[in-house]
Amino acid sequence: MNRKTTLPDPSRFFEIRFESIGGLGAHAAGQILARTAVLHMNLNGAHFSSYGSEKKGSVVRSYIRLGGADKPIRTSAPIDSPDVVVVFHTALLEQPITLAGLKSGSTVICNAAAGELPEGLSRVPAGATIVRVDALKIAVEERSRPNAVLLGTLTAALPFLDADTVLTGLNEGFAHHNSEAVAANERAFARGGKEFEVVDHVGQGSEDLPIMRPQPVWGYQTAPIGGVLPLPGNTVWNDLTTSRTGWLPVFNTEECIHCGLCVLVCPDFCLVWSNEGAGTVPALECPDFSLTWSTEGPGEEAPSARLLGVDYRYCKGCLRCIETCPTEAMTREAETPGLADRLQVPLYPEITKRVGGTRGN
Amino acid sequence: MATNIQAAVQPSATRPRRGATAPQRVDFLSGNEAAAAAARDIGFHLMGYFPITPSTEVAENLAKMQANGDHEIVMVPGDGEHGAAGICYGAAIGGGRVLNATSSQGLLYALEQLPVQAGTRMPMVLNIATRAVSGPLDIRCDHSDVYFALNTGWIILLARDPQAVYDLNFAAVKIGEHADVRLPVLVAYDGFFTSHQKRRLECFDDAETVRREFLGKPDAPYTALDPRHPVTFGPYMNDPDLINNKQQLSLAMEAARQVIPQVLEELHALTGRLYPVMDAYRMDDADVAVVLLNSAAETAKEVADHLRDSGQKVGVLSPNVLRPFPAAAFRDALTSVRAVVIGDRADSYGADGGNLSLEVRAALQQDEHNRTLVLSRVYGLGGRDFDDTDAAQFFEQATQSAKSQQVAVPFAYHGTYAGDPDQKPPSGLPAIETAEVSRGMARVRENPDTGRLEVELEPLWATTTMPGRIAPGHGACPGCGVFPVLHQVYSVLEGDLVVLFQTGCAMVVTTGYPNTAHRITYIHNLFQNGAATLAGLVEMYHELLRRGELPDSPDITFMMVTGDGGMDIGIGPALGAAHRNHNMIILEYDNQGYMNTGAQLSYATPLGHRTSTSEVGRKRAGKVFHHKDTAQIFASCHLPYVFTASEGYPEDLMRKAAKAQWYAKHEGLVYGKVLSFCPLNWRTTDDAAQSVLQTAVDSCFFPVYEVEKGQTMISYDPDLLGRRRKVSDWLALMGKTKHLMSPDNAENLAAVEAEVDRRWRRLKAMHQHPEL
Repeated sequence: MNRKTTLPDPSRFFEIRFESIGGLGAHAAGQILARTAVLHMNLNGAHFSSYGSEKKGSVVRSYIRLGGADKPIRTSAPIDSPDVVVVFHTALLEQPITLAGLKSGSTVICNAAAGELPEGLSRVPAGATIVRVDALKIAVEERSRPNAVLLGTLTAALPFLDADTVLTGLNEGFAHHNSEAVAANERAFARGGKEFEVVDHVGQGSEDLPIMRPQPVWGYQTAPIGGVLPLPGNTVWNDLTTSRTGWLPVFNTEECIHCGLCVLVCPDFCLVWSNEGAGTVPALECPDFSLTWSTEGPGEEAPSARLLGVDYRYCKGCLRCIETCPTEAMTREAETPGLADRLQVPLYPEITKRVGGTRGN
Repeated sequence: MATNIQAAVQPSATRPRRGATAPQRVDFLSGNEAAAAAARDIGFHLMGYFPITPSTEVAENLAKMQANGDHEIVMVPGDGEHGAAGICYGAAIGGGRVLNATSSQGLLYALEQLPVQAGTRMPMVLNIATRAVSGPLDIRCDHSDVYFALNTGWIILLARDPQAVYDLNFAAVKIGEHADVRLPVLVAYDGFFTSHQKRRLECFDDAETVRREFLGKPDAPYTALDPRHPVTFGPYMNDPDLINNKQQLSLAMEAARQVIPQVLEELHALTGRLYPVMDAYRMDDADVAVVLLNSAAETAKEVADHLRDSGQKVGVLSPNVLRPFPAAAFRDALTSVRAVVIGDRADSYGADGGNLSLEVRAALQQDEHNRTLVLSRVYGLGGRDFDDTDAAQFFEQATQSAKSQQVAVPFAYHGTYAGDPDQKPPSGLPAIETAEVSRGMARVRENPDTGRLEVELEPLWATTTMPGRIAPGHGACPGCGVFPVLHQVYSVLEGDLVVLFQTGCAMVVTTGYPNTAHRITYIHNLFQNGAATLAGLVEMYHELLRRGELPDSPDITFMMVTGDGGMDIGIGPALGAAHRNHNMIILEYDNQGYMNTGAQLSYATPLGHRTSTSEVGRKRAGKVFHHKDTAQIFASCHLPYVFTASEGYPEDLMRKAAKAQWYAKHEGLVYGKVLSFCPLNWRTTDDAAQSVLQTAVDSCFFPVYEVEKGQTMISYDPDLLGRRRKVSDWLALMGKTKHLMSPDNAENLAAVEAEVDRRWRRLKAMHQHPEL
């Protein structure tokens, strides 16, 4: 299969940007699409992703640049002013940079449940098209991943892309997987191409969204020399909310014996304790040596520290606290919109809990 | 449908290119993938390597291909880049074809091997995915690494895109091995911009023929593997001889000036793609020009096209060869250019221009008629993008100079930011007072009868309100085990603490500028040099105390935190510190691989485990040698205290941490190794820590013990407790070892089991003997 494909405007590149969180498959999906364009659609193409040294759970941008077969691709710059933005996680819409450079006539594809299009989309230029698809739900139902669904939606939204060809590329991308996984991807892709809605009247913006470049906070006249950071612990202003992938731990205060085991395994230091109040610690009965705790010695008095809850600004949803909890004080719940805000117990009350929210002075 | 898919999965059709004699096929590869594909098609004999971003993928891709039998290159993972370069040098003396790939610090750590390789005339190919040199550490592109190679005697080819990476690797082999040259060759391409960007390119369809007809067989005049012709390599050579050896090298470089265009022309005939020594784009009648290397030059070409459309006579010069330096080509190309901006992606600090700029100026100075005005600019350091607006500014600055016939600013940084005095990064937390962290969470006393330390711990809940020495908001993966390890240790360490982290996950995710999670003083130096650095600081501290120059100093504890990878590359400085017995702790979090750079094998990775450089495929199943026993190495240093512990056994770890602090204060260096969970690269769910860690200990893969004043004590004996599990029970819990459960890999599994059992029996014997 090697279709001749014509882009809407052959005189320039057609540019697509995926906005995602590490682990959702944006890099793989971008690579598959660009690869398919080059190998099977007789187009020229480039693909790359940008991500920092942060690990799973941080923001990932994946860029696809497509041009005619004979149009050389020379620039290696990121895509500032995309024809399509695919948003893999709605939380990203709270950051203006997610939709930066979006222009009238372009398309936004957003992974969101029905009726749950976030407010951030109102900034989209009125002349742009907004497409919603519940990629997460479809992916869960088909035992696939959201990237296969979103690739299906993207293909349906762009008339120059042929669904069979893109699906072929998708299957090649997962050629090393078993046939069940491939079939699941096919179903997810097909449903993504059908079960989307074009949402009217959400984009209210009167002009194109400006291009955004990250600007450093300090410059060469203001930064301390040598790159030192005399700002101990200022990562507390970071917001790791988007690292969670659907689940969070919920604290049930009445079940808690305030033993402190969860603190020993929490990688994110997001459990909030108080010194006030007292109770008694029942003897722990843990089958594994790893979870026993000496109750001998000078510490037999009742605990004066109490667990109050979780600061979800920092919780990445690993659920290790649940694995370790000897009672049922921590339980796993699906993260529905607003749940974390309702349960939030802040470690630093002066910090507002918003994604990309208030910065310090 | 199925048929369609099948048809499409076939490699895309061979496309004989006009003017090319070799059949080629279209592929879609990044620069790193192109380097790996070229290596496969060249069929090097051996690759010595060590992982470093952004070049690591070259070895990763080759490991994947090797696992499936797609090539037969012997891949030797070095203990560091210095070792990797040595492996390559040794292999080159054997006369076969040798490959390496590195970046940034890796090149600098290997640097002293480079002039030896050139001076003793051993061809090989080194791919550099160019990246900024530390400090502070930056993983993005600039040319500060490759500029360090300018004086090493290596030929340097520049690959501006993935196609060039593929093509120039072939050229590199042929140029370097030419009888008149016999020099090693470096192929440099831009980190991330080229190394990680996928582009359409063409690969040879019939590599065998290209190998035979274009490359031929390597023909080393001298090898170390011919006992009938004994040769001394590397004699002791002083004056008056060395200068003559160097003139030979210089003449070889001169010979390369002739050989390189010939080889590139042959390659042109083969591929249809020409790489002139000087890529002169729209330069014929250019009034102004910019000179740039690699990907930035390609960006500038786009802008040049636009400016040409509006009638401006502009062009772009970008050499494909940096050594030997094409001075004459620069002179020719700039003869009638009125003004030129030369952009350097690295500074030669204090020289008013980067190396490229200085060398082009020197080239022009040889032409007494040349009137070209030169503007030197430093741009794009540490990965700062160079896009069309930047290129347009360079053209504009050159145009202004040409018009005014003067250079207003001969040298400047481009694209920096002065800063706004009203803007600051988010404020930090208050410093932790000594009293807040001196709460006796662990009380240590020496038992006069046994001579050993005993520890009494406060109840756990009491530690929960200790101020954390690391703040939340760090960027580790969900479920990361490093932070529980640090928390458990920090909870019992008393008083003021200064830490040094070696390069690794814990360092990267806690200190992304301008944020730091560390609430106490923290230091990062080079990957391998932490123990030496901390040793220097410890001794400075004691000397300042002795001289009374720190009159109000609290009693500081010093601790180095490292991953298991850091104890590969950094084992030398760590053993040095251990033998000198400084008052410090070395704490290793062992997650069995280079997880920071994408899960490459470390020497701590057990046999058979899948990593990105020990892949599992049709021909191979994971790592081919056993895990390093670092705790025993340090025990052999006769330290006051060595321990192992598991993140999943906090009470034990915390007791040991308390003892570590006591010994570090009173007797000297302590080494501790802690098994640390890595769900991402062990391929488990984020909340599988307890079971995996528990089984690692119960299967005796990871024995938990201490060596206190030379006596070995097992802290937890699964045999005695009736909890012994099979090694396979542990391996079955992780995706990275699932393949070891298959009957195909029974031999590997048996080998791991036997080795684990042997080490465990040995340890038990030591436990039972009072002198061991």
